[in-house]
Amino acid sequence: MDELGMDLTGRLMADMDPRLLEFLRTTIDSFVKWDLIRFFYENPYTTDTARNIARYAGRTDEAIRKDLAELADNGVLEENQLGDMTVYSLTGDPEMRELLDDFVEASDDREFRVKAIYHIIRGNP
Amino acid sequence: MKRVKTGIPGLDDMLMGGFLPKSANLVEGAPGTGKTTLGMQFIYHGIVAYDEPGLILTFEEFPQQYYRDAESFGWDFRQLERNDQLRVVMTSPEVSKAGLEEVGGRIEQLVREIGAKRILVDSLSHFERLREKPSELRRTTYGFVNSLKREGLTAVLTRESLALLGDAEASDDTFAFMVDSYILLRYVEIESVVRKALLVLKMRGSDHDKGIRQCEITSRGLEVLSPFEGREGIMSGSPRRMVDSFVQAFVKR
Repeated sequence: MDELGMDLTGRLMADMDPRLLEFLRTTIDSFVKWDLIRFFYENPYTTDTARNIARYAGRTDEAIRKDLAELADNGVLEENQLGDMTVYSLTGDPEMRELLDDFVEASDDREFRVKAIYHIIRGNP
Repeated sequence: MKRVKTGIPGLDDMLMGGFLPKSANLVEGAPGTGKTTLGMQFIYHGIVAYDEPGLILTFEEFPQQYYRDAESFGWDFRQLERNDQLRVVMTSPEVSKAGLEEVGGRIEQLVREIGAKRILVDSLSHFERLREKPSELRRTTYGFVNSLKREGLTAVLTRESLALLGDAEASDDTFAFMVDSYILLRYVEIESVVRKALLVLKMRGSDHDKGIRQCEITSRGLEVLSPFEGREGIMSGSPRRMVDSFVQAFVKR
């Protein structure tokens, strides 16, 4: 802790856009989620089952199922029932879409990426 | 009769003006023959020349691949998406099928959202992945094609042919029967150079050019050129000069 009472994570995150910091804290707690967000950002009109999304994203079905469901709970994705299939697609909510755009664009910056990776590795304080 | 122009130089002439409205049109060929380019061009041309928004339904390539390929022809698909004139949708055949069977499903939603008039389905071959019995596969694909028509879409459906050169394996007649037109793309070898050939094999309810034309993918997309002259057996992949066939047939050795 420093004189302001901040630990290393706090100091690292201090100059981050507060919206993105909040997004990291509440929504992205795994690299799988980060990968999924990037995948849907790059392929915004994808609609598919967890099994097929896992195949496209180069992950296993088991590895992403929980994260897809949590991203849906957090409003990043939409979860719909199609017959006996659960399918996921990117939310149509313009505010969330803007936040995702900002997050992915920010993560192209190395410094931001390092901070975000540190945040995920450390877990939520 | 009103036609839906593809915008592909030479092809609309072969189709007597273009595809029939709300029709399903199969384009079959080996990898790299230009099936997807033909489909993308059909979608792009519809948007920019006729203000007819389009959907691209991909079961295989990532949308990024379409954006990149389109860019190489000078077509800005990302901008068209931002303008709500295009959607490149990645999904699987089982989800598409279920989505089209459901009232207000995802595809229907997207069609309504942008007022889509054209669709590229790339590719129909992936329906075979559903591992259904042939009769079920036929019913599934037929239902899918009909639902596209129900949405008022004019569709280009691509299908892979595995043979690169030479006689292609016999196609499943199912697809040929259910579509309104059937275009074949083939590689042909002429004097050690591989060229591309295009043939309109069938066009329901309309006359069409029965010739086998040369085609090329240029910086502007697919272009259909003049017929192959003085050759026969083009679709076999290894055409003969007609004079050789004549000699073989008529001149005693």
